Amino acid sequence: MSLSLAIASTTLAADPTVEKPTGFFGALASAAEWFIGVFQDGGQNFVGLINGIIPTLVVLLVFVNTLIRLIGPERIDHLGEVAARPGIIYYPVRYLVLPFLSVFFLTNPMAYTMGRFLPEKYKPAFYDSSVSFVHPITGLFPHANAGELFVYLGIANGITSLGGSVGDLAVRYLLVGMVVILIRGVLTELITARMMSRRTANEGVAA
Amino acid sequence: MSTTTESRSGGGMSAINDLIVRIGRTVGGVVGVLYQAGRDAIDTVIRNILPFMAFISMLIGIIDKTGIGKGLAHVVEPLAGNLVGLLVISVFCAIPIISPILGPGAVIAQIVGVLLGKNIAEGTIPPSYALPALFAIDPQVGCDFIPVGLALGEAEPETVEIGVPAVLTSRLITGPLSVVIAYFASLGMYSGLGK
Repeated sequence: MSLSLAIASTTLAADPTVEKPTGFFGALASAAEWFIGVFQDGGQNFVGLINGIIPTLVVLLVFVNTLIRLIGPERIDHLGEVAARPGIIYYPVRYLVLPFLSVFFLTNPMAYTMGRFLPEKYKPAFYDSSVSFVHPITGLFPHANAGELFVYLGIANGITSLGGSVGDLAVRYLLVGMVVILIRGVLTELITARMMSRRTANEGVAA
Repeated sequence: MSTTTESRSGGGMSAINDLIVRIGRTVGGVVGVLYQAGRDAIDTVIRNILPFMAFISMLIGIIDKTGIGKGLAHVVEPLAGNLVGLLVISVFCAIPIISPILGPGAVIAQIVGVLLGKNIAEGTIPPSYALPALFAIDPQVGCDFIPVGLALGEAEPETVEIGVPAVLTSRLITGPLSVVIAYFASLGMYSGLGK
């Protein structure tokens, strides 16, 4: 501290006289200080993130991991078979309940394996629906996509530093996310169906 | 005579033994599950979360000290501070050529999320825009991963061929739509907050 003060005072003293060596070394010193300051600033931020996020997150991760292991992710397999049925009442099962449970129990990349229970024409829509849920779910259940937490956490930190509580944001993010994945699933299914029928029509013309 | 008593007492003993073994096995199983859960949690933190925090912290240090942050705030404010700007961001992210490039690891979405969070903290973006902003920066989610994701679902190659453009096209509509939904869902949120 006293060293940096000394450096700062030499810089200040050197500035008006423009004595070259002092000025040069003074400039070097303040440049070095500024350089280190960048990383001190970053380091403080790092400690803030660790203290603010990691402890709760670790305990929550342990809890959810235990829950998943005790329940057993293979139990949602049956739901996949139900979701494959045609009919309008199965849309919310296919693009809301199934993506939610797959992402919750199987987490980010493995959730998409649930698509294997669905007929080909529903697979792109199911993928679209479940992949769109991997960020909205992190507000309340960070275990589901631990590698991509900062989409939510980054913005939520802004609310925290204003003194607001992020619970409201997390819940609304989850709920709006659920609405969005349902719409996305239905729309992508329609688009897929149109593209598939156009392709078969084209093949018919070609043949 | 003696043999029967022996066998009976032996039966009683083995029942108790069974019980003890069963209790031991159950407790061991539960403790094993808990321990494994703890191990997984720490593994996730070390492998996925800490590295990202380190990298974000360095970026924030640089952005704060160099004044890039202030410059970025001027760029971001007119875009992220109102509904039209957020729609522009979401349409841009959803463009079928750009969305697969923005996708990998959600790294770009995460950096933008942190930047927007800083701007919310500093008051350049009103906190009520937090929710629509979350959707505006994310219409490209998973667009880089469609073939792999479909393959995980054991899709045929023909399905992948159609699935990729189908999802990308759908995003162009549902991306901005999600921002609008989030905008209306965020009405009344954090109204007393901010500067």
